[in-house]
Amino acid sequence: MDDEKKPSAEEVKEKKGSLKVSRRDFLKGMATSAVAATITALPGPSATEAEAAVPSGIKEAVIALNINNKVYRIKVKSNWTLLDVLRRELDLTGTKKACDHGNCGACTVIVDGKAVYACSLLAISMENKKISTVEGLREGDKLHPIQKAFSEQGGYQCGFCTPGQMMAAKALLDKNQKPTPDEIKMSMAGNLCRCGAYPKIIESVLSASAKIRGGA
Amino acid sequence: MAKEFKVVGKKVERVDAFERLTGEAKYTSDVYLPGMLYAKILRSPHPHAKVVNITTSKAQALPGVKAILTPADVPDFPIHKRETPPTVVMPVLATTARYAGDEILAVAAVDEETADEAVELIKVEYQPLPFVLDAEDAVKPTAPKLYPEGNAIQEKADITIRGDIDEGFKQADVILEGKYKTHMLQHTTLEPRVTVARWDGKRLTVWDSHKAPFNLRTGLAEALNIKVNQVRVLTHFIGGDFGDKGNLERQHVIAALLAKKTNRPVKLEFTREENYLGAHHRYPTTWYLKYGAKKDGTLTAIQVKLYADSGAYYHFDGAWNSLEIPQKVYRCPNVRLEGWNVFTNKPEGGHMRCVGHPAGMFPQEVHMDRLAEKLGIDPLAFRLKNYARKEDGDQDRKIPFSSCGMEDCVRLAAERFGWESRWRKPGTSEGPVKKGLGVAFQSCRHGSQFGPMSAIIKLDPDGTIELMNGLNDSGGGQKTTMAMIAAEGLGIPYEAVEVTTGDTDSTTDAGGPSGSRGTASVGNAVMAAVRDAKNQLLDAAAELLKKKKEDLEIRDAQIFVKGEGGKSLSYKEVLSRAPSPIIGRGTARPPVNTATHGFGAHFAEVAVDTRTGKVEVLKLIAAHDVGRTISRIGCENQIQGGAVMGIGFGMLERQHVDRQTGICTNPNMVDFKIPSILDVPIVEPIIVESDDPLGPFGAKGVGEPPYGVPAPAIANAIYNAVGVRFSEIPVNIRSVLDGIEKRQG
Repeated sequence: MDDEKKPSAEEVKEKKGSLKVSRRDFLKGMATSAVAATITALPGPSATEAEAAVPSGIKEAVIALNINNKVYRIKVKSNWTLLDVLRRELDLTGTKKACDHGNCGACTVIVDGKAVYACSLLAISMENKKISTVEGLREGDKLHPIQKAFSEQGGYQCGFCTPGQMMAAKALLDKNQKPTPDEIKMSMAGNLCRCGAYPKIIESVLSASAKIRGGA
Repeated sequence: MAKEFKVVGKKVERVDAFERLTGEAKYTSDVYLPGMLYAKILRSPHPHAKVVNITTSKAQALPGVKAILTPADVPDFPIHKRETPPTVVMPVLATTARYAGDEILAVAAVDEETADEAVELIKVEYQPLPFVLDAEDAVKPTAPKLYPEGNAIQEKADITIRGDIDEGFKQADVILEGKYKTHMLQHTTLEPRVTVARWDGKRLTVWDSHKAPFNLRTGLAEALNIKVNQVRVLTHFIGGDFGDKGNLERQHVIAALLAKKTNRPVKLEFTREENYLGAHHRYPTTWYLKYGAKKDGTLTAIQVKLYADSGAYYHFDGAWNSLEIPQKVYRCPNVRLEGWNVFTNKPEGGHMRCVGHPAGMFPQEVHMDRLAEKLGIDPLAFRLKNYARKEDGDQDRKIPFSSCGMEDCVRLAAERFGWESRWRKPGTSEGPVKKGLGVAFQSCRHGSQFGPMSAIIKLDPDGTIELMNGLNDSGGGQKTTMAMIAAEGLGIPYEAVEVTTGDTDSTTDAGGPSGSRGTASVGNAVMAAVRDAKNQLLDAAAELLKKKKEDLEIRDAQIFVKGEGGKSLSYKEVLSRAPSPIIGRGTARPPVNTATHGFGAHFAEVAVDTRTGKVEVLKLIAAHDVGRTISRIGCENQIQGGAVMGIGFGMLERQHVDRQTGICTNPNMVDFKIPSILDVPIVEPIIVESDDPLGPFGAKGVGEPPYGVPAPAIANAIYNAVGVRFSEIPVNIRSVLDGIEKRQG
């Protein structure tokens, strides 16, 4: 038995064709069409890319981002994702880059109350929005009940998907303080964990839910 | 009587929980250094082609491009090699591409976009060559050759003969043959391979998502022709390895050379697509099995022929590794195993969780199920009759196993599962959604000990300790496990231990957490350091108390004068007054002439919708003999997580290569689907403690054993439900429907 189906020549061509649209080209297109109107072009290159030419169609702008209740004024290019700005420009590296294509959920942050993938959002479209990342969960040395629950129940192994898992859990628990295991599964299905810590992730979210309701 | 422990076996929060859960942990992909350049690799679009010409002028003229490495610029150093003829070498950069994705050259630029742009501007002319993708095609004499000597390699260990195979088949009442296949898949660590290299004068510092920093350090020194102590490797946090990230690889040398050439730090981070092409893979296997048994169920003959598909390069003897399963799991006096490592124009095969064993467990456990049915014996009883017991041990070396908890695994799991009361003959489930039960056994050497093993314990004046340990924690919780072993050994609270890993400058070589070796191997080194530290404590206390060392003893972190009742000194009192610092040094060696196996049994219940072909795993009970639980959470997580990943192996994961073009068609996390939280049941772990005499506190490792067992257990359960056998995995909706259709004729 062999389930490797032979595609027709057209299919191959089409597949290869579709692969050729690189993420960068896609973002370039986005930048020129959707958001170009809202930004101001600024003279001079940004600090991180001082030696590179600005590719055609890309604009630069200074924007204000509200992240974890702190406002960052920052110069960005119109094709930079929120994920790259968080990590590379603001050193908020708790939000992880694992697939960079909106497939895995490692970069989950909360924007205006919704769990979203930071790799699939342009930073420039994030002005006037409230962004929360894993760095904003704890208060000083005091862990958030979700973090405490993940620690106690062992809802992680390598920890790379974990910031995203916890932000997805927070978005859920902010709306539904007492989710059932099935509700947890449904709302966290967009967060892949290759270590397979799912059983303990569910226990962690249930425990966090109890802690939050108990006022921990 | 069960042993009593203060720390060992307890449920504790991990030593690095705060860093991992707050985003403070810096993984290599999080490293951004001032002035850092970004490297990108140009990869061959052809599965087999000679590089005829390279033109880089346009790329060089692009502002922001700082360096380009072509094959002419790199040392003639083999990244992976087979030293005896036929020699096979993976060069730093390829002048003949042997798979679509092979690395041809590299660029460093001020940002990722510029580096990408530069790669696109470089013109490489190729002379495409004929290619071959399937191992059985590749061994044919007419097949295109990847290497002049041919595509098939057989090592000495790839033929094993025990007893007399012809005699074995003569004795058999039932003989069963079968062909089975497993396919190529990829670790899909959430953190892709990533390297940052920086030179400070003569000294090279490398940050890497790597599980074995000392391997990497030695490899880099050799490749760059510098001294080992000129290289520092930092691997503090690793976003999973699952068998990858353990060796010197091309990207390490490329990043170091680019950093040297530009005199700036260089980051080389694989994209997800690159990770599916350029990192290692679980190598595909093709199996021919012929087993014989007597009417009473006694196995009399095992004959196996295996093609292990190495892909384009030679990483290790995968055939031998996979053949260990038919060689060792069941007792059988007459065995003949033949394996071939075969080159094809696909990405390189390599180590992945439990290495070659899962590829052998699927065919063998399905074959055993078929054989049981042919004999009219319950599949569980058939396995129980034949599995290699403690006294059988390694049947070729004739060494008994150091411990064996298989019987407890099976008894406890079968009871909880209700095997005896619920198991029905195949195909007897009523209605359109049919339920079925299946079982599979696991027995392999993963979890045993091998070197190097070392650890250092520094005792501080306030009674706390620092454990400096080269064993990395790629996610399995090794830092915590080692801290627990040290705390138990010294009789101090777990919280009093700080652990340093992931720095070749401040730790000593303890190897990587490969082969499920960490707990038992490095745990023994930690215990050696504990003994050394205790010895020094006694020396210091003897001096302070003006007593003979022989008259002193340590109990519960206190030093007592024997026979003098309550009179004692605490560690803290000794340490604050000790004449010189106390530093416990521990090295250990793997035990010789021993055989240690991890054992396990999985029971699966599935529901198969005969209308849609959808298979739902309703229940998976995973029982494992771990020798002794050190970290309760770590142990459960490894069993549950291994089984979850193993469900992916059995039901979801396959990296496809297009037959016409030789190009991988699903190098992304949508089309190469790993299990999500919706795809898996709550795996129920059962932990069996056989108290292994060789491991620290009786522990064996458990990182790999749970991985390979779910696939055959589930395949057997599907057969039990709908009467459809599978000769290859992953099992998917299409193959289930096809099977049902065929059966209905």
